[in-house]
Amino acid sequence: MKSNLYFRRVAVIGAGLTLFRRRLLETPQELAWEASRKALDEAGLDLKDIDCVVIGSAPDAFDGVHMKGEYLAHGSGGIRRMVTRVFVGGATGVMVPITAWYHVASGLCQKVLAVAEEKMSPARPHPQSVFRYIWDPITEKPLNPNLIWIFAMEMHRYMYVNKISKEEIALVSVKNKRNALNNPYAQAAGNITVDDVLKSEILVWPVQLLDTSPVSDGAAAMVIVSEDIARRYTDTPVWIEGVGWALDNTEWTGRELTYPRYLEYAARMAYKMAAIERPSKEIDVIEPYDPFDYKELHHIEGLMIAKRGEAPKLLKEGVFDIDGDIPSSPSGGLLGVGNPIAAAGLMKTISIYWQLKGTAGKMQVKKPVHTGLAQAWGDLMQASTVIVMRN
Amino acid sequence: MSWDKIGYEDKLLVWNEIMEAEEYVYTVGVAGEEFFKGLKEKRIVGSKCPKCGKVYVPARLYCEDCFIKTEFINITSKPYIYTYTIIYADENGNKLEKPQVVALVRFENTNGGLLAFVEGEVEIGKEVEILEYKIPLIVRVK
Repeated sequence: MKSNLYFRRVAVIGAGLTLFRRRLLETPQELAWEASRKALDEAGLDLKDIDCVVIGSAPDAFDGVHMKGEYLAHGSGGIRRMVTRVFVGGATGVMVPITAWYHVASGLCQKVLAVAEEKMSPARPHPQSVFRYIWDPITEKPLNPNLIWIFAMEMHRYMYVNKISKEEIALVSVKNKRNALNNPYAQAAGNITVDDVLKSEILVWPVQLLDTSPVSDGAAAMVIVSEDIARRYTDTPVWIEGVGWALDNTEWTGRELTYPRYLEYAARMAYKMAAIERPSKEIDVIEPYDPFDYKELHHIEGLMIAKRGEAPKLLKEGVFDIDGDIPSSPSGGLLGVGNPIAAAGLMKTISIYWQLKGTAGKMQVKKPVHTGLAQAWGDLMQASTVIVMRN
Repeated sequence: MSWDKIGYEDKLLVWNEIMEAEEYVYTVGVAGEEFFKGLKEKRIVGSKCPKCGKVYVPARLYCEDCFIKTEFINITSKPYIYTYTIIYADENGNKLEKPQVVALVRFENTNGGLLAFVEGEVEIGKEVEILEYKIPLIVRVK
């Protein structure tokens, strides 16, 4: 059942990406400009046509520039325009098109440039260390944890409750890195085997090196417009049909780590808006957030595309392969393309947009697609954002 | 350095002490490369928008208004003091032996500017001569 909200239809008509690489020469502003320029070119618009700009970036600490919204506005076409910066950690990348969506859906703007950028490489010795102050200062920080610790605990709990082996999880990394071979922007593409994953360096058990996405720099941009503009500029608009976002309990120690409830809430909101009742039947292609391989399975379950604990079984059957029933991360995802936090989520949204437009090139999935979904996750590991698009 | 890997202990990777972002290493960017290459050769490199003709100093990759790629050019127009200030204490609040004059130097018919330490009788609008091509510039009032 469709919800009883009334708003204007919103479409995507252009998108652009930079290469995802470690330590790109370009400054954050230059990266934002490159992605924005490509998005405008694909849309057939110029900067003067744009009403407002939405900028997404995760913590300033990654690029090492404070007030990054203002800093990036320069390269994102934000000068002398309405500019909004959104910021929900890893979930930011999909929050960017969602925010652009409500700028247009509400009638406030007609043509929005949505930009996400992240450089993960300036912080030395490792960007992981900028997370130092996200922990509870009394009960957690004395242990000097890093983020991989809690992903490792979440992964372990997921494996334990659902009786999933590391081999089954490693298949995600194998699939995504293989898909990334088709992606001209990808950083970590490759034909690897389950064995390679299991033999890679152990970071924080059970997380190994090839279970994780690499450190990357990159930017992504999208042009999001109202219906009449879309009709004027393209014959193949891709419609944003549903959006959802939610936050679970920020005390991660108190959450059920086996199942991403934050995502179920966000997905239900988006599905309701898009009138999707049976996600596994009605969604043709998905880009679930996969900074770690188990996370893609976790999120496929949270999206209610697989039952709890059953995503690994479907993966093994080939359901999520590029020629499967519900191709998952055909772009290669974060594991294959790279993980410049905010840009990675928008890259996933762009991937779905290109799939629905039919311009994904070698990434194009085999079956015809009508409905696609992108998702991101982050903040203190409890925020999720979901976007459903149709052609 | 707190990030040194010291090896495996019970299959856990151990980092000594505390993780901290100890430093940030920035890249100068595509336009920055041109600009700094120019400084080494005692040139001021700017960039010109092929559409609106606006010239940016220092060089930048794109025109912020036209949003297209610019062309790098050498700036030959006159540098002058756009504004200045006088610093009496260092960043820790200690009184400087000799006050430091810092100026914003602009070039005629261009956008942007560069910070500079100034020698000579400083005055707004006065032309300067660039003594040292670095950040900040060292200039002398003509």
